[in-house]
Formats: sequence, structure tokens, C-alpha cells
Amino acid sequence: MKKNFNPRFISSAAASCILGLTAVQPATAAVSDEDFNALKATVQQLQSAHDQDQKQIQTLQQQLGETQTMATNAIAEAGAVAQAQANPPRNALHNFTMVGDAEIQYAKTYGNGTHNGFVLADFAPIFLYQANDKVLFEAGFDVTVNNNSASGTNSYNGVAGSSYTHDSGSSTSVSLSFAQLDYLVNDYVTFVGGYMLLPLGTYSERTAGWLNKIPDDPFGVEFLPGAGAGAQLRGAYPLGESGQMLTYAVYCANGPSSVDGTGNAYTLDGGGNKISNLDLGGNVGIQNDGNNGNLHSAPSGGGRIGWFMPWGGAHKDLELGVSGQTGSWDDAGSYMWSALVLDGALHVGPNVEVKGEYIDTWYNTSDAGTIRPWAAWVQAGYKLAGLDLDMPIISDIELIGRVDKENNGLGSRSGLGAETRRYTMGYVYYITNTLLFEGDYEFIHSCIPGSSPLTANQLIFQLSYGF
Amino acid sequence: MKPNSKHSQRLIRAALAAVALAALGGFLAVARADDTKPAAPKKLTGAELYAINCGRCHPERYPTEFNSAQWQTIMLEMRVRANLPARQAKEILKYLKEEAGN
Repeated sequence: MKKNFNPRFISSAAASCILGLTAVQPATAAVSDEDFNALKATVQQLQSAHDQDQKQIQTLQQQLGETQTMATNAIAEAGAVAQAQANPPRNALHNFTMVGDAEIQYAKTYGNGTHNGFVLADFAPIFLYQANDKVLFEAGFDVTVNNNSASGTNSYNGVAGSSYTHDSGSSTSVSLSFAQLDYLVNDYVTFVGGYMLLPLGTYSERTAGWLNKIPDDPFGVEFLPGAGAGAQLRGAYPLGESGQMLTYAVYCANGPSSVDGTGNAYTLDGGGNKISNLDLGGNVGIQNDGNNGNLHSAPSGGGRIGWFMPWGGAHKDLELGVSGQTGSWDDAGSYMWSALVLDGALHVGPNVEVKGEYIDTWYNTSDAGTIRPWAAWVQAGYKLAGLDLDMPIISDIELIGRVDKENNGLGSRSGLGAETRRYTMGYVYYITNTLLFEGDYEFIHSCIPGSSPLTANQLIFQLSYGF
Repeated sequence: MKPNSKHSQRLIRAALAAVALAALGGFLAVARADDTKPAAPKKLTGAELYAINCGRCHPERYPTEFNSAQWQTIMLEMRVRANLPARQAKEILKYLKEEAGN
């Protein structure tokens, strides 16, 4: 028996299979609302963070731009500053500096009838103007206050009495100590011109109230012209690398002059008093009649050679120098004035100093032969810091002693001759490195030919300030 | 008989010879020492030059008392006044400017 499969059944079954295979299969994993919401929240958070990152990136980009701009500006400014320093602007206050010193004193002179008194000893500014690396103009002044001198006839109840001359009121005197132009020609030569400090010894060039350690000048300074109108070449040569050096200065200046123009040793002043006819301070080139020129026929010449030798570091050194000047002093140029100065200074450590000068001058005259003023002084100082006492005030004190002697060379016949010896004991208290409180007592013995010896001791206190 | 006169003379001659040899040896020793080149001297610094030169006339001025521009002017004056060699003055100025801080 054959079995007959119904073809219609087979096709229906195949169609069903095909339909079943191609029908969309329903999802097998269902997502809950909670999960969906959580996922949505996470996405939102990520989006927010992304936005914040974008903003931060923008901010950083903006800051970077600003920093780059600042750096560019700084480079430009640095370039401008470098250019300005290489070519500094020229104006009246460029490299203008003032230094100097001032002193006030309290003094008592014994034996001449004066009372103790305060004195504004000196206000001495020094103006420095540097035009460039090679040119300096410097000028120093001395400003002092003096009593005026009044004279007249006193009266009592309207009745005229005797004439008088008496100190009354005060006046201010301003004197030019020096005014010179310095030009550095090269490493070994400096040109100096003007009313210049003269290198006769070292005291005149290196003096100032706060440097001297004793309130008054040593003897002999008055026998030398501290400054003169002229020109000078000076410089120094180092000897090795130890600091040793040779120094030189050579100059010409108008030189000293005569009070009345003659070569006479003496003259009379306006009051009829006999005075020395030599004038060391005049002859500065501009005359009272408006003419320019030297009062006599030829300038004076002079110079100094010095040798400086340090050893063993700072504060151990020796300096020796010899200097001199010669030239005519009367208007006719017939008589000569000359000076020779030997100077020395020794430092043995930071606490010991010894220095001094020997000053010898001589000048020919028409009526009194050769007059020979001379002087010598030696000064020693010892800083008590060398005792290592570790006491603040004591360690800031320096004990000073000086011996000086002078003879004005005017002899016994003139009535003006005098020889004076002075012994000075003093101290310096360094309140600061530039504020000094000094005090000294001076034993002064003067011998005037034909007169009894004169003793006029002095007690001086001085406050000095260097600035 | 003279006691050992020839001996004494020989002793004296020997002593003189010894002294001469010693002197010669000393001379040679010194000569040999001079043959060796000394060490090059150390250049002084600005601070050392400042202490050497500036302390002999006045108390020490501290570098901070003035600014660099002022030191430039003041050192020019000091170079002239104290007659300082150029190189030393430059070294001192460099030291003062560095220590001035402004």
C-alpha cells in the first residue's frame, strides 16, 4: 500500500517554518525604568563634566595667551632698559652726588681771657657731577659763621663816651676750597684742572673734619698753599698684585703772591699793623680790575712722588712721599718761594696708625734775606678695640696723640717771629662709622723772641659728621 | 817641641774648608730654590682692595650707604683723590656696586 503525503500539508508546514524563522523575535532581556533613569543620569553627569572641562580648557588657553603677552612685553622692556643703560639720558641731575662733612665744636682756650663757647666749625659740602665714565667735576666749599666786628662810640645817658671795637652780630662766610675738573686720559694719567687741591704732602688732599681725628689742623699746614689755580697730571702704577704702587703728580699753578706786590718781607695792613708780605692764598687768575692772569711773570711748578706698600692684607701698610713746589711770588718775578714736604703713614693692623709730615718752606725777600718757615708733626692713634675687651663703648674709642712744632721763620728782628710747640692728647669716639665725637686737650707753648714764653692751652670737643 | 803645630794647622785648614763647603752648599741651595718658579701671586679681590686702600684715610663706608650710581661717581672722585691705579679702582667699584644691592 503506498502512503501518499499530502503536498499541501508539506507546503503549509514549510511556510510555517519560514514564517517562524523570519518573524521578529521578541526581546529576551527587558530594561527597567530604574536602570534607564540611572543610565540617563550618568550620561547627563558625563555631559556636564565634559562641559566643565571645555570651559577650563578655554580659561587655560586664555591665561596662556596672557602669559605669552607678558613675556613678550618683558623682553621688550628689558631690551629698552639695556639700551637706556648703554645710552643714559643726559640731564642736569645725571650722576650728581653731594658728599662732605660738618663739624660743631665746644672750645675753651686758656690764658687769653676767653670764655667757653660753642662754635659751628664748618659745613663743608662737596658737589660731584659725573658727566660720563671719564669726566668728573668736583667742588668743595667751607661755610662758617663768624662774629661781626662793630665799632663806634659808646654812650651813657646820651653822653658820648669812648670808642669801642667789639664783636656784634654774625656773618656767614662761604669760601671755595677747590673746584676742579678731572679727566681720565687713560689708566695711568688723569688730567686735573681748575682751582685744585695741591699734592704738597697728603694732609691737604685728604683732610676733612671727620677724617682728621683731632679738631684742629697740625702745624705747618698754614705754610703751604692748600689749593692753587692751575693744571695737573697725576696717576698711579701698580707694582705687582699685592696692592703696592707708585703714585705721581706733577702740576703748574699761578703760585703764591705778594700782599703789596713787592718782594719786601713785610708790609702794613689797613690798620697800620705790620704783617708778613707773603700771600699763599691769592693769585687765582681773576684780578680785581677784571683782568685775567698771573700776578707775577711765571707759574710755579711742583709735584709729588709716593710709594705705597701694603703687606699681609688690609690695615698693614706703609706710605712714603716727597713733594715740593717752587716759583716766584712777587709781581716782578724776582724772588722765589719754595716748599719741600716729606710725608709718611704707617698702619700696623686695624688698630694702630702713625703718620706725620715734615714741612720746609723758604722764600727770598728784598730786605730780609731768606725767610724759612718750617714745621713738623707726628700723630699716633690706637683703637681700644685692639684690647679685645668686648665692651661696646670702649671698643669704639680711639686714643690720639700728636706732637707738632713750627717756626714761622720771621725771626726776632721783625717782631713777628714765633716758635710754637704743641702736645695734644685726645680721643675719638665712633658713634657710627661717620659720626665722630672727638675731644682733645692741647698744651701749647709759644716762644716769641723778645717776649716771655706764652702758654695758651686749649680744650676742644667736636662732633663731626661725614656724609 | 811645638805641640802638634802641624796638626793644628791641618785642623784649621779643615775647619776653613768645612766652612767654605758649607757656605757653598748654602749658596747652591738658595740658587736651586731661586730656580723654581714662585707661584703666581693671587689677584686681590675688590673687597680686599677696598679694605687696603680705603681704610687708610677714613673709616669704612659700607657699600649699602650709597646706590650703584652714587658709587660710580664717588669712586671716580676717590680714584683721583687717592691716586688709585685704574684696575684697582674698577675692582673696588665692582665690589661696591655688587654689595650695594641697588
